[in-house]
Amino acid sequence: MASFYLLGTIAVVASLLVIAQRNPIYSVLLLIASFGALSGLYVLLEAPFAAVIQIIVYAGAIMVLFLFVVMLLNAPHEETEHDLRLHPLVRHGPMGFGVVLALILVVELALALAGSRPDRFGSAAATSVRSIGRALFTDYAFPFEATSVLILVAMVGAVVLARREPR
Amino acid sequence: MTPLLIGQIVLTLFVFVMLLNSAAVMVYVERKVAALLQQRLGPWRVGPRGLLQPLADIVKLMFKEELRPRAADAFLFALAPMIAATCAFAAFAVVPFGAETTLFGWIPEGLRLQVADVNVAILVVFAIGSMSVYGIVLAGWSSNSKYSLLGGLRSSAQMISYELSYGLALATVLLLGNSLSLTEIVNRQAGTWLGFIPRWNIFFVPVGFIAFLIYMTAGIAETNRAPFDFPEAEQELVAGYHTEYSSMTFAMFFMAEYINMVTVSAVATDLFLGGWHGPLLPESLGWIWFLLKVAALLFFYVWMRWTLPRYRYDQLMRFGWKFLLPVAVVNLLATAAVVLYFGL
Repeated sequence: MASFYLLGTIAVVASLLVIAQRNPIYSVLLLIASFGALSGLYVLLEAPFAAVIQIIVYAGAIMVLFLFVVMLLNAPHEETEHDLRLHPLVRHGPMGFGVVLALILVVELALALAGSRPDRFGSAAATSVRSIGRALFTDYAFPFEATSVLILVAMVGAVVLARREPR
Repeated sequence: MTPLLIGQIVLTLFVFVMLLNSAAVMVYVERKVAALLQQRLGPWRVGPRGLLQPLADIVKLMFKEELRPRAADAFLFALAPMIAATCAFAAFAVVPFGAETTLFGWIPEGLRLQVADVNVAILVVFAIGSMSVYGIVLAGWSSNSKYSLLGGLRSSAQMISYELSYGLALATVLLLGNSLSLTEIVNRQAGTWLGFIPRWNIFFVPVGFIAFLIYMTAGIAETNRAPFDFPEAEQELVAGYHTEYSSMTFAMFFMAEYINMVTVSAVATDLFLGGWHGPLLPESLGWIWFLLKVAALLFFYVWMRWTLPRYRYDQLMRFGWKFLLPVAVVNLLATAAVVLYFGL
């Protein structure tokens, strides 16, 4: 139990510090720390596969890309003044918009938690790689494939945006 | 404390010290093999046949002045070498290097020659490997020097590109071994085909051998060794990401590179070369086979470094994305088909 509270505290505090940083590099690093703590929580839940995947995909791949982009653009310290280029809805109240988004997130989370059934997976089913794979390709085949199409669309979109028209 | 627990603690310390030593030994081996390939004598003055050269190097490094550029980010500048060294040591924790032993009957239950027995070991090695890039990237950024930054950027681009092929080569072995546990993968490679070919994954032609080649190539890129040592290409970037580091912080990067080499070779031994299985020796002495195989792979690494010139950066990227990755994907599909067809 002690390790749960330790890891939980690290995850929450690190996530809060992510938005409190002025320097984007530190934000990225704190987010990695938060992911590390989350991965530790997965280990406590006896789901080593999820824990390792969390590290490989989020901390190891996605955050490296984030860091790469932040370093490459050498993003300056954040400006706090209002940006006139923003949409009027968010220009004057980025704070208010953020609060609305946060509220929506909390409500969605509450709904999701209320509707969840913790007994859905037995403890053995959730840990074994074999059963995760089987569940992904049978019961969850549609969401799984839909997600992959979504990622493909995002990739094509990125290529289209990045491609310069030959003159 | 039970004998098993004491054995476990001793084993952990033993692995730690051996990894430290391996870095020192590799410094000597690297210089001697370089000399051999260039028809020189190499280190010769310190101790018999220059054997004490690593010791002299360490003493020299310790007495150098520790410098930090004024414009550097102090916290990250100090953190970066620690990340590099920690990841290098941590990855070896899940690598098994011998069969169960009772240490001549001293321990009632068998002691596994592996610091931590994790059932997703193969993924843990991969995860820690993917974390080690942060040491290099942060070193490059926090130094606040253009050469360091370029080295760090190159390193992150290179490691992301080659990690994919590396992961696919691991997945191929995972299919052949039908497990994510390194111990089980090794144990499935015991015995022989037709009575004389060891059942090692490398001899599972063609898919196992191709996976081995992909793994070793991506492994060179992951450990930033020549011919893929762009993060520290000295002709272009002075010393790349560790330009601004001196003394023991530099030594930590240096050590991390050699320990990563040892880990990549040890994992390759477990995945492709049958781990501690081999003819002639009984299973309890299997670690001798393990050491010999790792030594052979390390020699191969050093040999590559002093034989092949460095590629150009665009060649490296093109090779990684347009050749290695497609080959790895096709190889993985072929392996899956073979496993499915023959019901292995």
